[in-house]
Amino acid sequence: MTAQALAQVLASGLLMGLIYALIAVGLSLIFGLMDVVNFAHGEFLMTAMYVAFGLVFLTSLDPVLLMPIVVAVLFGVGAVVYLGVVRFAMRAKANQGMVQIFATFGLATLLQGAAQYFLTPDYRSIGNSWLGGKTLELGGVFLPLPQIFGGLVSIAAFGGLYLLMSRTDFGKALEATREDQGAVALVGIDRNRVFTLGWGLGAALVGLAGAVLAIFYYIHPQVGATFGLIAYVTVALGGFGSVFGALVAGIIVGFVEALTAAILPPAMKSLGIYMLYLGVVFVRPSGLFGKL
Amino acid sequence: MTADALSPPRTAGMLPQRRKQLLTAAFVFAAVAASPFIVRDVYLQNVLILTLLYAAVSQSWNILGGYCGQISLGHALYFGIGAYATSVLFVSYGIVPWGGMLVGGVLSAAVALLLGYPCFRLKGHYFSIATIVIAEIGLLLIHNWDFVGGALGIQWPFGSDSWWTLQFARDKVPYVHLALGLLAVTWFVTFLIEGSRWGYWWRAVKDNPEAAESLGVEIFHSKMAAAAVSAFFTAVGGSFYASFLAYIDPESVMSFRFSLLFALPAVLGGIGTLWGPFVGAAILIPLTEITRSYLGGSGSGIDLIIYGGLIMVVSLAKPEGILSLFQRKPKREVRS
Amino acid sequence: MNRRELLLGGASAMSFAAAAGFAGAVQAQAAREVVIGVIYPMSGASAQVGIDARHAFETALDIVNNDHALDLIGARGAGLSALGGAKLRLVFADHQADPQKGRAEAERLITQEKVSAIIGCYQSSVSATVSAVTERYGVPFLCADSSSPSLQRRGMKFFFRPAAQDEMFSAAMFDFFDAQKAKGKKIDTVALFFEDTIFGVDSSNVQRKLATERGYKIAADVKYRTNSPSLTAEVQQLKSADPDVLMPSSYTTDAMLLVKTTAELGYKPKNLVAQASGFSEQVTYDAVGDKLRGAITRASFSLDLAAKRPFITTVNDMFKARSTRDFNDNSSRQFMGLLLLAEAINRAGTTDGAKVRDALAATDIPGTSTIMPWARVRYGADGQNPDASPVLLQYVDGKFVTIFPTDVAIAGAIWPMNG
Repeated sequence: MTAQALAQVLASGLLMGLIYALIAVGLSLIFGLMDVVNFAHGEFLMTAMYVAFGLVFLTSLDPVLLMPIVVAVLFGVGAVVYLGVVRFAMRAKANQGMVQIFATFGLATLLQGAAQYFLTPDYRSIGNSWLGGKTLELGGVFLPLPQIFGGLVSIAAFGGLYLLMSRTDFGKALEATREDQGAVALVGIDRNRVFTLGWGLGAALVGLAGAVLAIFYYIHPQVGATFGLIAYVTVALGGFGSVFGALVAGIIVGFVEALTAAILPPAMKSLGIYMLYLGVVFVRPSGLFGKL
Repeated sequence: MTADALSPPRTAGMLPQRRKQLLTAAFVFAAVAASPFIVRDVYLQNVLILTLLYAAVSQSWNILGGYCGQISLGHALYFGIGAYATSVLFVSYGIVPWGGMLVGGVLSAAVALLLGYPCFRLKGHYFSIATIVIAEIGLLLIHNWDFVGGALGIQWPFGSDSWWTLQFARDKVPYVHLALGLLAVTWFVTFLIEGSRWGYWWRAVKDNPEAAESLGVEIFHSKMAAAAVSAFFTAVGGSFYASFLAYIDPESVMSFRFSLLFALPAVLGGIGTLWGPFVGAAILIPLTEITRSYLGGSGSGIDLIIYGGLIMVVSLAKPEGILSLFQRKPKREVRS
Repeated sequence: MNRRELLLGGASAMSFAAAAGFAGAVQAQAAREVVIGVIYPMSGASAQVGIDARHAFETALDIVNNDHALDLIGARGAGLSALGGAKLRLVFADHQADPQKGRAEAERLITQEKVSAIIGCYQSSVSATVSAVTERYGVPFLCADSSSPSLQRRGMKFFFRPAAQDEMFSAAMFDFFDAQKAKGKKIDTVALFFEDTIFGVDSSNVQRKLATERGYKIAADVKYRTNSPSLTAEVQQLKSADPDVLMPSSYTTDAMLLVKTTAELGYKPKNLVAQASGFSEQVTYDAVGDKLRGAITRASFSLDLAAKRPFITTVNDMFKARSTRDFNDNSSRQFMGLLLLAEAINRAGTTDGAKVRDALAATDIPGTSTIMPWARVRYGADGQNPDASPVLLQYVDGKFVTIFPTDVAIAGAIWPMNG
């Protein structure tokens, strides 16, 4: 491999990794807050992409301008899913872990079916973005503008999330709730309200990822499955509940995937990510930065 | 682990309750065995075969997932090993599926033991995701291994009807009985385990985590053995599926949805119970098959909405499983 | 298990019985109907293919069941004349790309719906199990659009494939290369780019063999995982190899991603000759058509033919009214498959499986009575139509133009594609 080809692999891996991190962080946040793994996370991403597509279709505006609306809609979706589904799953006295997995898995299947029912299984793509199809060349290394934009959005989102968690009352309430769910009730924090907002925030983050992804990826009812497994592995690799871990793990996953594809036959490129995950958890059973 | 680990504790003896369980099982399985002579429709017999198969594999999953609480979402790996071992041995070497069943089962059990040491250290979701990842690695390797057909899969040759090669062109009744046999065996193994020291230990650990400390090493070994038993019977299920279908490719025996389908009946019916997987499969499988057949042809996705909605509603409404609807008292209270 | 659990066991047994009753009700069907089973992926990643197929089959149904003044087989007269004007009825089933489900649906359609024939199934893996069932029940299976060559090599009596399979398609591509080379164009190297499914692997195996036989160097041989989040590393390999011809075998999602990624990495393939599939879907060209100028794909069908056979425009408009898109490689084969099946049933004058099978085997129809560029429809002993001549189409100015073989070509190829 030439130096230039290696630079290309690393640059592409970094950009993809930042997007993986952005997809994964919402999942990790929700888990950290209340020990729930959302198996419909990929379908949240799919929903966000369809919302972005629908808004572009209705307004003909650039999808970049519409991103705040997508994020807001997904915040609502997350809150509704918590209030309508997860709240009940958490009340289960027996098999809580399984109930959560299968309630959210059922929701995922239902969302896929609903997407097919209302929107047909046809492939959609957004063609009107100013960013679309543009690419930046730096000494033979090609960096597509939509992915660069996605990477920047991801970094900004992590920065914003850090400030939110450390500087705001809401962030402190989140932190307090994840530390000790019983005690927060005593100091007058409504646990249910924090969970609702937490789910909203988690879904809003994957909404942001979906809005970015919709600019350069195709949209169809199964698209969540393409990114779903990578998101779970990223979260577990970084350590469930760790926001910083999701960022680091996302970038690592991006690099490792790109490098594996350059070394092994590309059909086996996920092998690198999977081996890395196993290697890490066999040594550190709670991931790179996990507390549990 | 000693040789008498599987025998019931001396104090317990054969309780009348356990004798009743055996009689009930004999009655239910006999009724199912007779059913294909009453329901002659091939399609419904096919649904019955799948129901029994998923009940059996889910029962195998239940030994590890339900009784030991190790939530594996990667049992498709063992199913695939069984299916591939049987197909390769039969198609390339002419070894009848009965042999392949044994080889696949033993191979799977060995793999489970190998993976058990590192994986059992992982807790909760880290364990579940590790099992998903390991099954995906298996899928990728099979996909890229030309010796076992790679993406092209393995086509079984057409042959005449025979119990020896497990090929029956139109008759489904033998498959009903084979799948039922597998279910009966897995049920009986679970029954034995439930009444053995292992069963008592696991229940003790569930009820009282501190008890785990005192039993530590023995518990670990019993879980390893449970993983091997679970993998063995899952592989036998895969082996049956391969001879039943007479064609396999990586996605049709090893994809992630199989791992979910093995856990789902146990979860819906009642996890860690003797009858949960059977009840769960008896409701889930006919429902999914029949909604797909009679609603899926429209291409509207309505069958997925029903399937997903049902799983969601049942798991939320009855976290202990559907079986609990029919029990007056939780079993644990009876025992304590 | 106590009394309540026993009750539950009874309830599950009852649900089987209820389902049996339901199935019985479905069997009651009107007289003077010929029922055909149609098995396609109606949910999952390929659902759109199934839905387009449904429109194609319903268009064909309209052609057979109503009187149309077209020189197309099955068009004149309403219904099947030899069966007293009996109408065709279609029963659609969903296989979700799962061979097990495909087989179960085939058994259901044969035993419950009493179908006279089955048509399907897109994915070659499903066609493999469905054709095994039809063989065992003595019901004809018309393989409309699965192109794996292995399907016809199992000595089956009830298997018929009017369209070309991958060996014929790939041979046409290399015939074209040879012809271009004879004209003095430079073609020394090819790159194979294919997905890790039965379709991709089968297609690449044939192409690899043909390339070696005919003296083309394989500059890159890239197998990729289908539905990947990114194809950057894969395209990077193609870019470094920079072959004279890039030959992808990809379904729609990956076709779109491949084209997008080549543009992002600043790679302009000198020529692209695709094994149809994703490269014959309108959505691909809607999304990335601007980057596909001059791309060539193999096909079973070309709208150009309408100049010679005006009825093609008529049926295409009928299809478009249902599906909002033109006939493509898949939908044309599905449409034609049903017409050929109906023609054979009519010729048999009965719905008896063995007689319909014999009628299919005796089929001999000139290509001009079809919408396809085929020379004839006439099945060999293996059920394959050897005269289903494929064509190569080039995407020029937003539409497809036939460029090969020369006897049906409308224009010469633009080669290299970007020049």
